[in-house]
Amino acid sequence: MQYSRIVNIEVYKIFRNPRTYIAFLVVAVVVGLIQLGFYTDGKTYLSFGLRSLSDTFDLKGKILNGYLMAFIILQVLLVNLPLLVSLVAGDMVSGEASIGTLRLILTKPVSRTVLLLGKFTAASVYTFVLLLWMALWSLGISMLIFGVDDMLILKSDMITQILSSDVMWRYVAAFGFAIIAMLTVAALGFFLSVFAENSLGPIMGSMSIIIVFTIMNTLDLPIFNRINPFLFTSHMLGWKGFFDIKVDANNEQIVGSIENLPAVLTSAGILILHIIALLWASVIVFKRKDILS
Amino acid sequence: MHIQVDHLTKNFGSFTSVDDLSFSVTEGEVYGFLGQNGAGKSTTIRMLLSLIKPTSGSIKIFGESIIEDRENILQRTGAVVEKPDLYKYLSAFENMKLFSQYSGLSLSKTEIMRQLAVVGLEGRAHDKVKVYSQGMKQRLGIAVAMVHNPDLIILDEPTNGLDPQGITDIRNLILMLSREKKKTVVVSSHLLSEVEQIADSMLIINRGKKIVEGKVSELLNPGKVQLEIETLDNATAKEILMASFWSSSLVNTTKDCVLVDAERSMIPELTKYLVDQGVGLVGIKSVNSLEAYFLSLTSEHAV
Repeated sequence: MQYSRIVNIEVYKIFRNPRTYIAFLVVAVVVGLIQLGFYTDGKTYLSFGLRSLSDTFDLKGKILNGYLMAFIILQVLLVNLPLLVSLVAGDMVSGEASIGTLRLILTKPVSRTVLLLGKFTAASVYTFVLLLWMALWSLGISMLIFGVDDMLILKSDMITQILSSDVMWRYVAAFGFAIIAMLTVAALGFFLSVFAENSLGPIMGSMSIIIVFTIMNTLDLPIFNRINPFLFTSHMLGWKGFFDIKVDANNEQIVGSIENLPAVLTSAGILILHIIALLWASVIVFKRKDILS
Repeated sequence: MHIQVDHLTKNFGSFTSVDDLSFSVTEGEVYGFLGQNGAGKSTTIRMLLSLIKPTSGSIKIFGESIIEDRENILQRTGAVVEKPDLYKYLSAFENMKLFSQYSGLSLSKTEIMRQLAVVGLEGRAHDKVKVYSQGMKQRLGIAVAMVHNPDLIILDEPTNGLDPQGITDIRNLILMLSREKKKTVVVSSHLLSEVEQIADSMLIINRGKKIVEGKVSELLNPGKVQLEIETLDNATAKEILMASFWSSSLVNTTKDCVLVDAERSMIPELTKYLVDQGVGLVGIKSVNSLEAYFLSLTSEHAV
């Protein structure tokens, strides 16, 4: 089948290109640095953050554990990961246009729609593998270095404790959500890539859009508040919802529950709609595009 | 007929790149597509390959419309458009394998090596393309174009940027593809001498319009030539010719020479006449009239 053949070729090209591994290196270095920082000074850092609680509660056990480390790392990395994703997704079409291989491919008996869908699927595979790599480093290696215990999550107005037996599935779900969020970024980079003749434009374009939307999300102004629910950046951090636990009438946590599952699912749905819309628009534009590069 | 193009036009905004162009290519021939840079050759070739959509007109290849039957046509067509851009981080072998897969083929190592041998690259098959010379890239580009054994090969300026040896290699390769492999080859160039040496038929276009189309042997008829006569006093030579039988053949006078259209067989007679009239002849150079026309287009473009 033409589609699976194209996906295989595009995946092969991504992983044979040395540039692809920049992102993997960056993730490993950043995660390693955070782990090193917390390994040396983490206890001091945490005791400073928990000093008000220590007066009221008797905190026992391994607070600085692999689960907490993974949460901290994800908070840092998932904000910066879009750049690494758009580095490849934004290059998928425009990069080939700039080096001239796009016109060579299109002289072969390949449907433009299938080629584009194959390329997006390959970009999705890359995104998935990158997140898997990040999960391995942020969760797997952190668990090895810092061990495991119940997970404490500090928020501005509350502290949540998640039993260690109740954590792992939440991470699996959070990574699943993160894949959808990063695929939205990939779809955006991909869409811009269809218009451009070099990869810098789509990469910069994707990042600029994310920055502008994030600023609109941050500013608590009525004019933006009306738009914000429709912006994909408002939903990209929805993965954190998997770490909010429902409580019962006695204010006891319900193991295996999510406080606001509909909100998490709505966010995932909006992101998926963005992916479909951007991909559809990319196909329409690419099918009509004159290859002048 | 392998290619039938009728009233093809392409506009980019208000600029007309290809203007009501019609031509046909028959099976098994080498078809030269000649025009100066910017004449509309590459745009036409891109339309033949469905890389660009025509504004109007029709293109039929193997009797099918390139718009409606693009994939069927491309299954039987190979092309190198402008310079052959390949994946520099892959070897020639890997590029061949990749592009054969794009064509829906799964070629064996032996078959790929055999195809690389056709373009003389079997010894460098596993070197990365980034270390290849321009000539080697061009040959590899042609191998990639032929990887699915097409009936029609379209090469856009295949000798651009090559050294003399590279140009000879590509020329021989095109001739071999036509004579031995029985392929139909369309080759564009801005050099008449290139087309003259390899093509059976040719089309000259200028500013997107067809100037002339026909068999090379007929268009470049060696009987008719244009003479560039250099004398010690070109103005006097012109006056003498104007007052003679040769007046109707006089084309123009430039700072350096007098231009006269003539049959090749008449050159000795004309030379004798000028000498008899006391004109101090410095030299006579004969060029084919079509070549002269093409050179005039080129010089016009240069101005």
